Amino acid sequence: MSESTRARGSARVAIVQFPGVNCEAETARALARAGLEPELVRWTRPARDLAAFDAYVLPGGFSWQDRVRAGALAAKDPMLDELAARADAGAPVLGICNGAQVLVEAGLVPGNGGVEGRRPAPGAGPRDEVRVALARNRMPERTGYYTRWVWCRVEETQCVFTRAIEPGTLLPLPVAHGEGRFASAKKGRIAALAEAGQAPLRYAHADGALAEAFPENPNGSEAAVAALCNARGNVLALMPHPERAATLGQVSRAIGGDWGGRRERALAAGDGSAFGDGPGMAIFHGLARFFAVHA
Amino acid sequence: MSPGGKQMAQAYVELVAEDAEATSALAIVRGRLAAGRRLTSVRRLRVFELAGTLPSRAQLEALLHRSTRFYNPAKERCTVRAAERESAPFRPEEALVLVLDRGLERRPAGERWWKHETGEKVEVREGTVWALAFEPGEDAAARAGELAEVQDRRHGLFANPHFQDWRPGTGASPPWPWIERPRKRAKEDRP
Repeated sequence: MSESTRARGSARVAIVQFPGVNCEAETARALARAGLEPELVRWTRPARDLAAFDAYVLPGGFSWQDRVRAGALAAKDPMLDELAARADAGAPVLGICNGAQVLVEAGLVPGNGGVEGRRPAPGAGPRDEVRVALARNRMPERTGYYTRWVWCRVEETQCVFTRAIEPGTLLPLPVAHGEGRFASAKKGRIAALAEAGQAPLRYAHADGALAEAFPENPNGSEAAVAALCNARGNVLALMPHPERAATLGQVSRAIGGDWGGRRERALAAGDGSAFGDGPGMAIFHGLARFFAVHA
Repeated sequence: MSPGGKQMAQAYVELVAEDAEATSALAIVRGRLAAGRRLTSVRRLRVFELAGTLPSRAQLEALLHRSTRFYNPAKERCTVRAAERESAPFRPEEALVLVLDRGLERRPAGERWWKHETGEKVEVREGTVWALAFEPGEDAAARAGELAEVQDRRHGLFANPHFQDWRPGTGASPPWPWIERPRKRAKEDRP
């Protein structure tokens, strides 16, 4: 955490907005709710402005209208070079949905090193090889965009955003995407990344068993991976939308179990408790905890 | 004819208005990728390959025109190439990059519509063609090859090799067939 942040007592988080991104407002609300200090940084600002922040969130939406491929054009923006440098320095970076697609297309996730131990040659400069993709959803009898609430199981990893959450915890979160299937040309790479602790969230059934099949696994993602992080754990590409599950009242009626019960009780009480923390806040509180520990 | 002895046709579909997707790709490639500094234009076309028992050219064009499964005549134009000797809507100097979503090239909805309308079973495949033109003197095929496959933030754009395949071509003689091209030959085509 920077000296200025320490003096203020809360971390400054840049919400990096490319044209077509549309989840910046709810992302800002969720960050503020977690006690962080969000600020919108649009693509029109110089990339060097990002250096003044402690953490970064790339929200969901359709950067550059998904032209060429989801996240492909934003991944070439100078801001991604700055984000890569900040991530190398240890700053947390979260990409949600389209933000995740940008991080993957930019090579920040899974990043260099990790399960294959590859790093750029000395003197080669920062070269984040693109090693996975967020491919088009693979769903039986349908194609394209798909949205629903899914269960995500928290795995034991060193990811900054989830490591404070008890492994095995189930979080109901909404997904909404057409290209969310983690895939790699190298057979077994996604599973190896999960095995190595770089998949902090995986699609699951309500009983906690991993979901390999549609619709619980909403896109056919290999190894039921819903999120991948870099080997260091400070850069996370997350397909579900935690900012859309920031309050209890936002939890879908399709969700049962503990979260469903809490939602029903809160709504029935009519006392404002439906505005209490929803399951998605776990991710943002995880970021706040990181700064509390590192202050 | 396709290699399997089936009749074949290619249908190239392009927006009538300016294509924002191609415009953005041109700007990003020229501005950010070394291999694209001398790129002068980018066009994007969808290409369908139909294989099976096909009707006459006139009927083929009418069928494609009628179905929303292929293109929207209110905003797109379609050029049918019914034989290898026929021209396709490219300039000779353009280097072509065909991008396919691996394993998702088939268009079952188009095939079902065709069967319903004609009673014939045809195979329909779709890909995206990026037509790239460079300044004179540039090795267009080589530069297009460098731009085709994304490697990192500074290299490649049009296909992500982790779920997409790409196949080169030239505006003077686009491959025939192209989408259904055997994988080995497609690799041999690369610059």
